[in-house]
Amino acid sequence: MKLWAFILKRIVYAIITLIGLTFIVFALLHVGGNNLLLAAYLNPRLTGPAKQQMIKELIQRFHLNDPVYVQYFYWLKALLTGNLGYTNTPIYSGPVTTAIALFLPNTVMLTIIASILIWIIGIPLGVYSAVRRDSVGDQSVRVFSFTLYAMPIYLIAFILIIIFGVELKILPFSFPVNPMLASSLSWYKGGISYPTHIVLIDALIHGNLIVFWNALLHAILPSLTLALATVAGIIRILRSSMLEVLDQDYVRLARAKGVPEKVVINLHARRNALIPVLTLFGYTVASLLGGAVVVESIFDYPGIGYWTTQALLSNDVGGIMAATLIFGIVFVIASLILDIVYAIVDPRIRY
Amino acid sequence: MERYSEFRYSLKIFFSNPTAVAGFIIFMIYVIDALIMQFDPRLLGVKNPNVLQQNFVNPIPLPPSLQHPLGTTYPGIDLLHAIEAAIRIDLFYSLLVVLGGAAIGATLGIISGYIGGLLDDVLMRITDIFFAIPYLVLALAVGFVLGRTYESMVLALIIVWWPLYARYARAQTLSIKRTPFIDAAKIAGVRDFKIMIKHILPNVLPPIFVQISLDLGSIMVIFSVLAFIGLIPNASIPELGYLTSLGLNYLQSAPWTVIFPGLAITIFALAVNLMGDGLRDVIDPRRRSS
Repeated sequence: MKLWAFILKRIVYAIITLIGLTFIVFALLHVGGNNLLLAAYLNPRLTGPAKQQMIKELIQRFHLNDPVYVQYFYWLKALLTGNLGYTNTPIYSGPVTTAIALFLPNTVMLTIIASILIWIIGIPLGVYSAVRRDSVGDQSVRVFSFTLYAMPIYLIAFILIIIFGVELKILPFSFPVNPMLASSLSWYKGGISYPTHIVLIDALIHGNLIVFWNALLHAILPSLTLALATVAGIIRILRSSMLEVLDQDYVRLARAKGVPEKVVINLHARRNALIPVLTLFGYTVASLLGGAVVVESIFDYPGIGYWTTQALLSNDVGGIMAATLIFGIVFVIASLILDIVYAIVDPRIRY
Repeated sequence: MERYSEFRYSLKIFFSNPTAVAGFIIFMIYVIDALIMQFDPRLLGVKNPNVLQQNFVNPIPLPPSLQHPLGTTYPGIDLLHAIEAAIRIDLFYSLLVVLGGAAIGATLGIISGYIGGLLDDVLMRITDIFFAIPYLVLALAVGFVLGRTYESMVLALIIVWWPLYARYARAQTLSIKRTPFIDAAKIAGVRDFKIMIKHILPNVLPPIFVQISLDLGSIMVIFSVLAFIGLIPNASIPELGYLTSLGLNYLQSAPWTVIFPGLAITIFALAVNLMGDGLRDVIDPRRRSS
């Protein structure tokens, strides 16, 4: 199969998956009753006659008195035009699209930092574990990754908090930025920063290094928790694929030629061993996003996961509906990109 | 006779693996604890395994002592007794999730793999869609619609988990379908339904069981996470995630309130994983030699 044909096929699959995703969300909304769809699109600030008027308009717009498939069509149309309804939670109340613009960048930032940490922690450990197979070091790396794999993510967070926050007192573990400091900033209002909505980057844009440093310190524990919760899978896959690669003829040849061991491992073997890790990274993205929901609510990190839990706890239909869609869409796109990258790196996958 | 010796050989392989045996023993301790809680909780000093014994006279968490070996958590709950009782509930719901998911997934996977064609394509796309949503988010959505109770969470997790088993069962079915004995059965005029039940199912079940034991730990972890973030409103039911969340406000002064319930889950998840790895070695002959 040609590369473009493979990419086209994957894009078609991704679109089918996305349509299926909207179908599931709509089915869930429908199981809960027609008024759920209404609740998602009703502006929470409206009261009295204005509210009744709005309900009438919405019934007409979404054709709520027509059969289900007609409703689905009109709902999908609203989604495609970017109308996701309203959310009403203690941390934010207003249109869902604004909420996403406020919270999603923070989560993306968190997962990017976590991904970097995963590479920094996971790859050396995985390679070391394979090269020093069955040594004491290898055994301890395996016990370490096995234990991390078995731990609930909140336990990892608490252990980190107890070590770095309570005992050593070097890292802060709640509030995105020191609230005393934040309240004096003109661009930081109600827990939300402007213009990119990521405190870390906004502080740089505004040239405020103190806030930048503060925000960086606050981002360390949540992203480290997220990284440790997902790194175990990477270490395990890398170890086994590295062992496989180290056993291959070209590595033996390189060694026989007298290439230094460091070069053999870092240049010849590691590159090929990383390919399976890349595929696994798609699943890592999924578990990062899932883990973000928990991590963000433990650390009060103003990301989309925090908003999702808040929406759930305050029975906010619009928030839950949108969050399910957003998480699904982000994951589908991430795995599409990874699949394409993988197909470019390793042509065998296209068949 | 031959079957019997094969079984004994499998047992021998399993019990020659010390970590698998350790995992098995810990798993059995949890199971026995759950059974004791079910039938005679007083044996372990628990009065009522369905409700947490609160003590508002002395609500502040106490450190571990002779009277409370694991300390207490807010409000005055003895952690050892609470964890003993919670294991029963967590184990029960986790088992419900994996068994339910495996039953649905294996059935659909076998049918889809055996019949193939358009049905197979459609089913695989459907599993793709379920894989595309992080389990936690889908569970949130399902829980929201069906009501936030333990039962609806079990249903939500089954909805999230069956596609995984469907994939395994399908892959296994595809490889068995190609073997000559299935062709022989077809030529002999055995009906498709009977082939699926009598010839394919017995071959699909062992790897599914291995997967169940590998997943049991993850499911318990996920279940506790759902309870921990407050997804399931809790009327003082002993559940490990909820127990952990009780100690949240005392994290700085009384770390044992969050560490011990969390450890109870970690140890269980570790044990069933080790056990599952051992079982996989038994089933997969390629792994036996190494």
